[in-house]
Amino acid sequence: MTGDTTPDDDTRTDGVADMADNPYASRMVEYTPYAVAVGMKYVSSSPGRGTILLPWRADLVGQDGTDILAPGVLTALIDHACGLAIMAGLGFEAAPATLDLRIDHMRPAAPRASVTCSAHVYRATRTIAFLRAEVWDSSPDDPVAAAQAAFTLNRREAK
Amino acid sequence: MSSTVDLDAIIGGSPFCRFLNVRAEVDARGVLATLPIRDQLVGNVMLPALHGGAVASFLEIACLLQLAHETGTSAPARAIDISVEYLRPARREDTFARARIRRLGRRVAVIHAEAWQGDEDKPVCLLQSHLRLPSIGAR
Repeated sequence: MTGDTTPDDDTRTDGVADMADNPYASRMVEYTPYAVAVGMKYVSSSPGRGTILLPWRADLVGQDGTDILAPGVLTALIDHACGLAIMAGLGFEAAPATLDLRIDHMRPAAPRASVTCSAHVYRATRTIAFLRAEVWDSSPDDPVAAAQAAFTLNRREAK
Repeated sequence: MSSTVDLDAIIGGSPFCRFLNVRAEVDARGVLATLPIRDQLVGNVMLPALHGGAVASFLEIACLLQLAHETGTSAPARAIDISVEYLRPARREDTFARARIRRLGRRVAVIHAEAWQGDEDKPVCLLQSHLRLPSIGAR
């Protein structure tokens, strides 16, 4: 796992990035029932990094009248982007499971704003990956939430 | 036992709570929240297991409901931060949660919550949250 080697291109939110590279990458979002239910869209992935878009939707708002996505929806987005980052780094030969996840909500997302989460593995051992993730609405320079997580890797090959 | 606030109205006023179909009842220990199983909550189809994000957000809601129940206000508190620990996979079945207010300050509440399925002594997920209390003004 290489972590921070390709920080350049994966903050795109156009949803058409590098889907052709590995079919498993986009499937990780498209074949996960809960990711589909909340409407996550695969954006991009590279070894140790994953980016997912969550388009704004009225039924995901936390409080009637605010038009702001519920913080709990961001939790699932962050968790899933972390899983994608790990799988992309391990060639999709793992069954990662979240050990813990800490999220700082720096500010609410803007009303009716879609959000993007980019997660990256900053350190991995044979069994554990340590990740950081950020969520933004308009610009990665002004995140709405930041997260730190640890996952068990459950690599498929026998050790 | 009833609450001084209408928990069903709080749930009904949150599109995301309705999306998750969260239920709440009050007993002698406080608010008991239920997340009824549905296929769309699954995050791992191989095990199968519920999505960790679904369980965590259910626990966030349990914290908000317990806070509303104890403070008697339905004005929404806002999440400052959360910390979640996953102890075991959440199976494809109904999930329950209770939250406990560990400190209620003037501006901030510290609330812990636990989710379980068959056995309350074997929680599947723990959550700690700091919530900014309502009516204090903007952060």
